[in-house]
Amino acid sequence: MIKTVKASLSEKILFIFLLSLAVLVFGSFFLIKNKCLFVKNIDLTKLQFEFPENIAVMNVECGKVIVELYPEVAPKAVERFKYFLENHLYDGTTFYRVIEDTLMQAGDLEFGHKDTINYSKVGSGKSGLGNLKSELSDTFEFNAGSIALARGDTFDTEDSEFFIILKDIPLYQGEYTPIGKVIFGLDALKKIKIGNKSEYVLRPDFINSFRLIN
Amino acid sequence: MRFLIILLFALNFSILKADEIYNLIKIPNLEIYKLNSSNGIRYLNTKNDFRIGVDDNITCNKTDLKNLENKFPIITKNFEKYSSTFLKLNNLKYIVLCENLFISGINTGGIPEFSKRTLIIDLNFNPQYFERMLHHEFFHMIQNSHNDLFDEALWTSFNENGFKYAECSTCSDQLNLDLYQNTDGFLTEYSKSIASEDMAEIFSFLMVDKNMVESKTINDQILKNKMDMILKSIHQIDNQFNF
Repeated sequence: MIKTVKASLSEKILFIFLLSLAVLVFGSFFLIKNKCLFVKNIDLTKLQFEFPENIAVMNVECGKVIVELYPEVAPKAVERFKYFLENHLYDGTTFYRVIEDTLMQAGDLEFGHKDTINYSKVGSGKSGLGNLKSELSDTFEFNAGSIALARGDTFDTEDSEFFIILKDIPLYQGEYTPIGKVIFGLDALKKIKIGNKSEYVLRPDFINSFRLIN
Repeated sequence: MRFLIILLFALNFSILKADEIYNLIKIPNLEIYKLNSSNGIRYLNTKNDFRIGVDDNITCNKTDLKNLENKFPIITKNFEKYSSTFLKLNNLKYIVLCENLFISGINTGGIPEFSKRTLIIDLNFNPQYFERMLHHEFFHMIQNSHNDLFDEALWTSFNENGFKYAECSTCSDQLNLDLYQNTDGFLTEYSKSIASEDMAEIFSFLMVDKNMVESKTINDQILKNKMDMILKSIHQIDNQFNF
């Protein structure tokens, strides 16, 4: 006759603990693997824009980022930015400088393309169109999602590079040329690869495409 | 214990924080003290000692909070005399507040960083001259922004024949900042160091006590010529400016 051995309370607790651990390990594996898991997908067809001519869509690894440009704030800068978008020049350029929860910089057309990135020169590339004069605003508020043209140490050195901030940075008001704001999809940008020990990212994430919707 | 040390190392080296202030004005260890002043000046506090400049020749220490709270109203009261338009025209946007400011080992009240639109101020500068020093140092930014209006050759020609300024502001031991009773073309001993310091001294006295300067010019034609040049040049920069 086979005698049934009943599990003791401590054995049951141990079993539940091991089971939970296994679920957690497998769950974490999939969560870590898919960094875009909780990023909301944006359906463009459900969105309406007051000024569609100023709306651009950036496709990154974790989804779409909808950007509204402000030509009334920085007319020359936005005109130049639109030229790059219309000619698809930002496609494939990398977010080579990313600071966690703070900002990300991209748009080096010369040294920052994913296929030909030059780590020693990225950030110093030119578009070939020359520098722009800074178009500063004392009223534009640099809150999370704001986009501005990057510049050198001095004013009037803006070209093609731009940065997007992920938190409010009021210090930037009147310092950088604002060109627009992210109106949807900031979550997708927060998943862009960061450099842990440097602002400059090795094998950085890149912009799949960046186009005006019109 | 070993685990704790490893954890601390990991935390220390894996969190990269952005220093937005450093990115803008290239001075480390600062924090925002007051961002929205009436004329747009941004006041930055020194939270840790810093060294900047060629061979780190400029040094300044972190502020004592009580000292900062005492001096800050004096600083704002004086800089509020300038409109945002005037400040923009003369490239002043950031004021860095620190203690014991030295340049190449010489203690100084303030150092303008022209390209960064920044003025570094020593809170521990002699209280007797502190307010005037603020205007004196700002004048150097005004002059730097409008060199054509402050012709040093013309200024020097106002002095008596044979008078010579020193080669540089620190090449002379004439550093006393007390007001002369008999001015004889100069308001202080330091005015005699170089032309730009002479200008800055007159400007600073005009900002804190214009009537006194005007009274001194009644019997001092050299001083009157100098004062008139400062007044005229400042009004050329901003015709709304009030001393």
